[in-house]
Amino acid sequence: MMSLSSFVQKASSLIDPANFNIPSLSSNDNNPSKASLFRQQFRLPDSQNPLQEITAELILPLPNSSSDSADGSRRVDRAGNRYTGRLHLSERFICFSTQPTSFIPSSTLSASTSWTGQTHGTGPSGNGFTLPLSSIRRVERLHSARDVFSLALTTWNGLLNKQQEPNFAPQRLILQLVGSRQACERFCDCLKKGLREGMKEVDNLRNVVTDCYSEYLLSGTKAKDATDGEGRQPPDAGLGMLFRYPGDARKLRDRSKMRLWGEYFRENGRNSTLVRQPTFHKLIRVGLPNRLRGEIWELTSGSMFLRIRSPKLYVETLAKFDGQESLAIDEIEKDLNRSLPEYPGFQSEEGIGRLRRVLTAYSWTNAEVGYCQAMNIVVAALLIYMSEAQAFFLLSVLCDRLLPGYYSTTMYGTLLDQKVFESLVEKTMPVLWEHLAKFDVQLSVVSLPWFLSLYINSMPLVFAFRVLDVFFLEGPKVLFQVGLAILRINGEELLDIQDDGSFISVLKSYFSRLDESAHPRSENPKLRAITRFQELMVVAFKEFSGITHSTITEQREKHKDAVLDNIESFAKRTSIRNLGPESKRLSVDDLGTIYDRFYETLYQWEQHQKLAEEERKRQEKKKSERQSVLGPPVDRQVGRVGLGPSPTHMDYDAFREFLAATSKWAVSDTPAPARKDSSPSGYSSLRGNGKSLLWANRRQPADHEFMQRLYRKWATDPEEGLSLQNVVNGLARLKGSPDIMNNINYFFTLYDDSGNGEVDREGILKMSEALLFLSRRGFEGTITATQSLEDLSSPRGSEADQNRLATDEKFLGSVSAFIRRCFEYADPSHPDNQKAVFSDTTTEVTEKLDSFAIGDDEEDLIDVNDNDQQKTSPAAVSSPKPTESSEQNRPRSESANPALDPNNPLHITLPTLRMVVLADELLEQFFESYFPQSFHLSDHPHPASLAASSSLSSNLTTFSNLGHARPSASAVAGAPVAGASGGIVPPGKGLRGVLDNIVTDGIRMAAEVKKRMDEAQRELERNALGGRDEEDDEDEDDDYPSRQGASTATMAGGISSWGAGAYGADPERRSVREADRDLLEGAEAEVLSLRPTKEEASSQSRHRAKSPASVHDPEIVSKVVEFES
Amino acid sequence: MSESASANAPKPSSSVKLVLLGEAAVGKSSLVLRFVNNDFQENKEPTIGAAFLTQKCTLPTRTIKFEIWDTAGQERFASLAPMYYRNAQAALVVYDVTKPSSLTKAKHWVAELQRQASPGIVIALVGNKLDLTNDGGDDAGASPAPQAESESGQEGNEGAAEDAEEQLPASGDARKVSTREASTYAEEEGLLFFETSAKIGTNVVEVFTAIANAIPESSLKTGRGAGGAGQTALGSRPGEDSRVNLGDRNAATAKEGCAC
Repeated sequence: MMSLSSFVQKASSLIDPANFNIPSLSSNDNNPSKASLFRQQFRLPDSQNPLQEITAELILPLPNSSSDSADGSRRVDRAGNRYTGRLHLSERFICFSTQPTSFIPSSTLSASTSWTGQTHGTGPSGNGFTLPLSSIRRVERLHSARDVFSLALTTWNGLLNKQQEPNFAPQRLILQLVGSRQACERFCDCLKKGLREGMKEVDNLRNVVTDCYSEYLLSGTKAKDATDGEGRQPPDAGLGMLFRYPGDARKLRDRSKMRLWGEYFRENGRNSTLVRQPTFHKLIRVGLPNRLRGEIWELTSGSMFLRIRSPKLYVETLAKFDGQESLAIDEIEKDLNRSLPEYPGFQSEEGIGRLRRVLTAYSWTNAEVGYCQAMNIVVAALLIYMSEAQAFFLLSVLCDRLLPGYYSTTMYGTLLDQKVFESLVEKTMPVLWEHLAKFDVQLSVVSLPWFLSLYINSMPLVFAFRVLDVFFLEGPKVLFQVGLAILRINGEELLDIQDDGSFISVLKSYFSRLDESAHPRSENPKLRAITRFQELMVVAFKEFSGITHSTITEQREKHKDAVLDNIESFAKRTSIRNLGPESKRLSVDDLGTIYDRFYETLYQWEQHQKLAEEERKRQEKKKSERQSVLGPPVDRQVGRVGLGPSPTHMDYDAFREFLAATSKWAVSDTPAPARKDSSPSGYSSLRGNGKSLLWANRRQPADHEFMQRLYRKWATDPEEGLSLQNVVNGLARLKGSPDIMNNINYFFTLYDDSGNGEVDREGILKMSEALLFLSRRGFEGTITATQSLEDLSSPRGSEADQNRLATDEKFLGSVSAFIRRCFEYADPSHPDNQKAVFSDTTTEVTEKLDSFAIGDDEEDLIDVNDNDQQKTSPAAVSSPKPTESSEQNRPRSESANPALDPNNPLHITLPTLRMVVLADELLEQFFESYFPQSFHLSDHPHPASLAASSSLSSNLTTFSNLGHARPSASAVAGAPVAGASGGIVPPGKGLRGVLDNIVTDGIRMAAEVKKRMDEAQRELERNALGGRDEEDDEDEDDDYPSRQGASTATMAGGISSWGAGAYGADPERRSVREADRDLLEGAEAEVLSLRPTKEEASSQSRHRAKSPASVHDPEIVSKVVEFES
Repeated sequence: MSESASANAPKPSSSVKLVLLGEAAVGKSSLVLRFVNNDFQENKEPTIGAAFLTQKCTLPTRTIKFEIWDTAGQERFASLAPMYYRNAQAALVVYDVTKPSSLTKAKHWVAELQRQASPGIVIALVGNKLDLTNDGGDDAGASPAPQAESESGQEGNEGAAEDAEEQLPASGDARKVSTREASTYAEEEGLLFFETSAKIGTNVVEVFTAIANAIPESSLKTGRGAGGAGQTALGSRPGEDSRVNLGDRNAATAKEGCAC
């Protein structure tokens, strides 16, 4: 369990969501994880977890006695500095702090039970140490009294240098563990293990440490004489070494500070082995000496530990991406010449080069942030005091931990902290706050740059660096404390201001006088000597000492949602507005809906995949560490646009989810629980891992070729995925114009794979398949057969249900007519070669279809038809569960697709498609209204479609109702009815089952037509109802001869009339056949005039009764031929 | 749109909040610097958040004190922009005549302002870096001191635009955005339009003067202070309508409100 949860911790990032109050989906409580608090307190890399902890006493030799001591252990008994605190052990660090940790020992790894202690996740302000285990050379267990368990740690302090320092004494720390013997032993065991691991890193440590200025400072060279030239070269301590450090070194008393630090290092260790005693904090508060500033920043911020971990990362990153370009690099280049231009170093190629490299390297390691203006200023400032590699790692810590979200693409962290700052001002300085509110002065216009560039371009540099000294030690709260102090100190003047301008100028003038005396007229010379900056520091850290990390955390939590909402509505507004002219065809509401749905889908999908990924990892128990030191966190919430770069493109599977939320037809037929068994492979495997309840409750998207086509059509680059723009453009083209021609064109181009304006036979079949797919959930009232037909089909048909039923059925007929007509009017692709192609060895079906297509009909296939009837009727009866069988069939039929003859010699063109569509009332309506309207945007809130899809399909349900409601009708219908529909349906299935069959079979029919499976197999797989579609074909084809009588059709009820729509259109086809193909306008009228042909419907139903099944391709053709003849 | 704007009698001096928007490094800050200090810096630090400056502009009938908010141009700072253009009565949307993408960005800003900013905000579209084009030097002698233009500022602007239009891109010219393209767009949207060079000072003062002229007097505040948020709603003067397109903007705002 331990390892599991520690893995979870490992997976969590430097930006611990809870700790920084980035909304986290995975953890519902607001308590930050213990591990993150631990890392925060000791500034450890995010790979570290608290493994062991124990109360201990740290015994340090007395400062001034240390230099002459060769063996610290003897001094244990003598008076030394003793600190009681807690000792922590992580994978690679041993840490000690006198300051109580923010978590209580009993808290679990993933969440601290409550805020306790003072650190609240703040930095290492307590006394103690944070030692990488690799810096420990030896651990001895001292002989101890019965209940004292003492350890002596000897560190590598000063020993990693080749050069021996004078008066050198190894650093030795005595720790007395306080706890049960067992606990102590456990701690020691763990420590032993860690030390063994740590030994591997000693070389890294050596590399880093020898570059530290402290080592140089303590080395003999420096001690003997102050000249830099002798002995070794001083390590890189920033551009300041070349271009001078800002400020007057004498005035800053740099030399004496340096001496103090030298002394401190000698007594307490340096860089990685430094022990924090109270002097450490004082030395930082008075301001760091120039040449040590970088190193101490690195140490207090913890970025040094990252550098020890991967000392080569900076160089490697630069090498890896050498010569590559990115948007970030363009942006960086724009700003290189204007980063602290007043500092001479940044007017030189050297300084600019360093700045370029650091910013570039970081933009590669954290592509999410990339580059944000203000980073150039911050990094430029860092580079004055530290080397490139140091600045690189420190920038990482800044962006990921100290200034979370500040530089993200939405800058939500910046905005959030502005809100937090405002609320703190309101709380601590209510009078000022009211004054600002009264005059409509917006605080953040002033304070935002303070935070964003860490006061660097607000205050004179020397003072900004002093703020940074404390900031790196104590964390983000420092920025707030200083900001509040600025306002407090200037409170009087600020109460006089009446607009933004004067507000700004008051503060500007204050900053420019920071070096002046705070009390120029004081009698007391000491008081007079206090500068305004010192005053500022005192006010910040004394008066506002109540502002702690937890204050900030709480406030961030409080304002987070509002800030994110704001950003998101801005982002939404902006991106919708910027979608381009195409999007104007949709209403703003629609665009808003698309936007929301797009990102929601992306988010859900991402979440789902993440969970699946986690699951997978967990199963593998693979604890691979993150590649990049500070790569994007694993558990970071990605859903909120406001948080920064969320994914912008959806892949096909995400697109299916999007469609399922948009259109009823895109929802899978298979209910969620059953889907694993029945869904096509490759699909359930994706789903299978997802444990998310959210996800499981979603409607499951279907997977259909049509959706793939849409995806490919919409995507600019299918590999990359669909952007919001793609989706909007796609929908705009579909829904944007009410023009039926447009919709038909669109549909045609979906299937015009080659882009040459021709759709081949396979395309035609796929089109028809798509028509059935799209229509299988009914038309939501957008399509109705004309009244006369309804009368025909359902004599009492005033109920809407009946109409719909009738329409659905009729539509199937329309589709089969569609196929037939398409083939009929298709153009031969190779007119000369027709015969050759027909006579080739492919199956009978091909021949028939081909010949059919070119009008070579009337072959002697009557016998085939007879066969068909004989064969298929039993087959139909023997398939009692058509839905299931169709589910099985589909994959097979799809797998059979590649077997199709690719050299299909016929095609239809757009005018043909138009003609065919317009020839059919239902198809026409389909393209005119249903097709575009089936994409639900804002007008029909999609909950409706949700509801519809959750139960299999609402309109399907109405069928079963209908069936029950109209028993008399079906009874009257008698034999034909039974033959037409009822006879095939197993008793328990009811009408709903019938329709399911019709729909699924209809879809399958098209697939099967092309797949040419051998007949025997097909017989088994086919179910009876599918055959009716084919029969439709025949019926329609033979419509003139077989139009006689059969008024029983009217009694056949809704179902038996399902071909009527197609029938009604038939005369039109004739007219088309006779007239020119492009002559389509008149067709509609003709349809209407010729529609009342009851005979058609009746003959159809009769035929259906006779031969209830079979989709055998030859049979289709044969029947058609039969009737025509 | 509220007619609540107090019908203050125009005072000799009134302040106008003006915001500069546009892609990074198109020269927003430089335009301001030229206008305010008549100065130019080659390497101007990028603006973090926003910079604030003021400058007076004297018209025959009144003095306008511009309170200029110069915003950061980088894309990600866009979400901060509403903070700055809040209550602005005028906006300078700047693009770089040598960079077509910056005009696209400028159009986005115009759309944003038209929908989100105070109704009736006077927007000027400004193509900067004219000095990098062949026609850049021609106007170099433009007077740098803020001064009153003729009352017919609008006609003047159009004239300027037409002049520039004749100077279409020639070979060796860094210009990538034709004057015609930008001016046509500006006309469609009812914007003032200028091409400027902050570096050599071309047209800079003219832009601000034209804006000052275009601000309806009824909307001018007499100094800031009494101001509330609602107060900046402009009273529409018929004469100004063609410029500021109030009706359209309102419709758009209403729509936008629903969407969010």
